Amino acid sequence: MSVFKRSYKRYTGPISNERFRLGVLMRYGAADLWSSRITNVVFVLCMIPSLISMTVIYIMNNDAVRLLLSSQGSSTPKIAMDERFFFVMLQGQCWPALILIAWIGPKLIAGDLSNDALPIILSHPISRVEYVVAKLLVLLGFLSAVTWIPTSMLFVFQSYLSKTPWAAEHIHIFIGMFIGSMLWIILLSLIALSVASWVKWRIVATGLLFATMFVPAGVGTVFNAVMRTKWGNLINIPDMMETLWIRLLQVNMPGYFMRNALPTTALLISLAAMCALCASALNARIRAREVVRG
Amino acid sequence: MAVIELSGLEVRLANRVVLDGLNGKLAGKAIGLLGPNGSGKSTLINTLLGFHAPSHGTAHVFDLDVRTHSREIRASIGYMPENDSFIGNISGIHFVRYMAELAGVPASNALERAHEAMFYVGLGEVRYRKISTYSLGMKQLVKLAQAIVHGARLLILDEPTNGLDPVARQRMIQLIREVRDAGDVTLLISSHLLRDVDETCDEVLILKKGHIAAICNLEEERRANRRFIELETVAAQEAFGVAIRQLGCECAFFPGERWKLVMPETVEIRDLYTIAAQQGVQIRKMNYRRDSLEDIFLTAMDSKLGVARVGV
Repeated sequence: MSVFKRSYKRYTGPISNERFRLGVLMRYGAADLWSSRITNVVFVLCMIPSLISMTVIYIMNNDAVRLLLSSQGSSTPKIAMDERFFFVMLQGQCWPALILIAWIGPKLIAGDLSNDALPIILSHPISRVEYVVAKLLVLLGFLSAVTWIPTSMLFVFQSYLSKTPWAAEHIHIFIGMFIGSMLWIILLSLIALSVASWVKWRIVATGLLFATMFVPAGVGTVFNAVMRTKWGNLINIPDMMETLWIRLLQVNMPGYFMRNALPTTALLISLAAMCALCASALNARIRAREVVRG
Repeated sequence: MAVIELSGLEVRLANRVVLDGLNGKLAGKAIGLLGPNGSGKSTLINTLLGFHAPSHGTAHVFDLDVRTHSREIRASIGYMPENDSFIGNISGIHFVRYMAELAGVPASNALERAHEAMFYVGLGEVRYRKISTYSLGMKQLVKLAQAIVHGARLLILDEPTNGLDPVARQRMIQLIREVRDAGDVTLLISSHLLRDVDETCDEVLILKKGHIAAICNLEEERRANRRFIELETVAAQEAFGVAIRQLGCECAFFPGERWKLVMPETVEIRDLYTIAAQQGVQIRKMNYRRDSLEDIFLTAMDSKLGVARVGV
């Protein structure tokens, strides 16, 4: 079919492998996100904590710079490059990721849902699972770029600058940061997609994402206070993640903190239940056709 | 080879039987799917696309079972849904290119194909505009463009003329005919407009309350109908009827000097004029029987479920 002829001729050229269709969804999804200037700005802002941490690591490992700063009258307290430092750094990277996903999560899926594009998209050799997985992978890619990738790079940076063998002794920090980040970004991605799939209006979806994160936390805290228990934290995502990160990085915390923390198994079960709930919400919503209720 | 084969296909949605034991083979070049609202047309299409799973029986598209090969089936289908279905915040060309790549057209070819498809459907000048700014007719056309861009073997068009003004409708019908006549694609056109189906299809499946009310080969009907002639004459005598019968025509006379003829293959229209001229008869009106689809549809709607089989 040539443009100037304007007569129909069926396409008979090569067909790509079906395994690449997932990549098509991911590529178009990522391109759509990158096309927004706000995405770029938020992404750059998410990197600021890493830049600060990198500066701190550099100063703490460079006697000359510290001496120079001291000679100029500024006090340079010695910050230990230990579990606590990387825990704070991890938090500093993971919370901005919430802002990033609040912007890109709804944007990624709202376009497909607001004009009911799913029947056309899913009429191609793409399954619903593949569609969701592709969108999830896009979000995981973006969030990885602002969470475990920069923290891992900083770990390597610290290992490189350290005058004493450091990496092998602190490898649990590296593993903890990776697992902690992955838990966080998988949870965030699932919540973002499920919220966006049910709320077509992007602004509302963004607000609802923050509400999903913090309203149950408030309710859990009130429940704890009223019932004099700690189990209300099972719906307190910020608290659960903080506890998990502390344990994964093996941060030394005061005794009272550890006494009030929930068991790791309970935390993981709660997070798994939340993920299952999100998957269920996605399963109900990501369909080519509405399910007819009797 | 049958394009679509239904084997006791039953589909239940929310415990309600929507399609009830459909059986039949459809082998036409352009298959019309007719039926009143709620008869199961869209459900049948969704089942063929793998959106709904059959509760009993099955259906085959190009000999592939919809239960087990829905992915392969979708790879050979281009689908134009009835309702709005697009990504509003991207341009038409971007959307069609995206759908082409999803269908398997390599990225290196997809943009060119998308341009061709957009030009072909008549959206060449607006292809860089966001789809959300398109008119209803343009949206229908961009849906058609994405359905044909990857060279589907079966095009499923669900109410393609829905909401179109007469000019846009005529344009859409013309496009469908051109695609049909291109020769290497089969069309399944769902519509409640008999005229659309009559103008584009050569076979029709009529559904009623989830059952097949009729399957009919329109092309054969048309061929047969070409031999059915209605005449309105002035000054015709009995001798006119006798002369026509002598040609080999079956002939019936009705009040108002109206005649109905069934002509054999050997007789041409010219022969009728010759006889009329010889006998001083004026032929005021001559019609082929044109309302065959309407007749078939009304017969199917009046029939008891599942008993009407026209032309099978």
